[in-house]
Amino acid sequence: MLPENLTAVVARNESWTGTSASEPYEAGWAKEAIVFVRALKEPKGSLPKARIEISADGMHWCHEGSEFALPTTKDAVTFQRLGHFGNFVRIAATLPDGAEITVLVTLHLKA
Amino acid sequence: MRRAIREADPQLSRFDPLPRIICFDDFDRGMCGWTQLVGNYEDSLDAMLPGYAQHSHAMLSTLPNWDFGSHGGVDGSYALKIATRPKKGAQNVAIKRLTFRKPGPIRLEAYFTFKPEATDLQLSETDIRSFGFLYDLQIGDSSGPGDRVMPHLRFLNAQDGQHLQKWQFKRKTTPIKPIGNAGKTITHYHLAPDDWEDLPGGEQRLCYNEIPTKVNWHYLRFDFDLASMQATRFQVNDRVFAMDGFDSIRIPAMKNLWCMLNLAFFAETDTDKRAFAYLDSVCLSGEF
Repeated sequence: MLPENLTAVVARNESWTGTSASEPYEAGWAKEAIVFVRALKEPKGSLPKARIEISADGMHWCHEGSEFALPTTKDAVTFQRLGHFGNFVRIAATLPDGAEITVLVTLHLKA
Repeated sequence: MRRAIREADPQLSRFDPLPRIICFDDFDRGMCGWTQLVGNYEDSLDAMLPGYAQHSHAMLSTLPNWDFGSHGGVDGSYALKIATRPKKGAQNVAIKRLTFRKPGPIRLEAYFTFKPEATDLQLSETDIRSFGFLYDLQIGDSSGPGDRVMPHLRFLNAQDGQHLQKWQFKRKTTPIKPIGNAGKTITHYHLAPDDWEDLPGGEQRLCYNEIPTKVNWHYLRFDFDLASMQATRFQVNDRVFAMDGFDSIRIPAMKNLWCMLNLAFFAETDTDKRAFAYLDSVCLSGEF
């Protein structure tokens, strides 16, 4: 049987300001993931790096260690490869005052 | 013979399908075609109604809990999980999109359960507003004129902290609005919180366990006739409800949805806490 493979859109047209994150996504079945972030509108201000966060229960979160750039122009895409993320995963960012990005966040999960 | 084979199969023997199984979705084999219900839009995603914009993707879940670990499904490790956002009134939906080949009887069967996110060490039995399901149906292009018919049923568990526990249905959707300028797209939000009506005799006390992480699975069966577009039977656990007082949302047939057989489940929260609905498994069968 072919291994399981899923594209999950976990944030669509959400405007991130301040401390923001995608909704918790349960993906314990997957061995690997790629997170894609696309800017759906022209971002504003100085953008920080996004971080991968993982969790045992979807409520208490740890910084997994991976950081990656957010896209700096409309329709630009950035990504981060991930392995060993256990169960819940999300993408978080802490934006400074005046910064804003409207994101499409996609998880590509593979067993 | 057919019955003997079915009853000897541990997965199928807990269902009573009609002669032809249209789909049998055990989420140990992946998402089985269940996906996110995305709203209509044109040119910009900003055109999407807020009710749809809040929707996110269902998950393959082991029902993990912080206090005792994975709960697992009825059978196997995984169930389909539909999670709302942590905001009072938030909803989420998972949908499977099919078409039918004969307008006859169909039967939906599923095992379901629901619970709030266990952010408090309290029972939290009133934190979920509702769990429900719907069909989105339209007759074949040669059978018209007819309607687009959307039977909706929800278990209103609680509202504003009151534990109500009753089944409700819906006859009205929101006004249909055009989207964009191309004249190709319209939208309405059929899961709007207004216009739910009590199913006569639809009060039911479901099993819920003593802490917010334990769940028990419930059996659900809904029989519907695609020829008459009428519900014929509804059962949850040991209760069979009279469907004389039930009706569906009915709107004029649309030019692009012939023979549509869409099936969706949804969850809604009554507090600023995520509501989780789980399915394992879903069996859709028909008489054809």
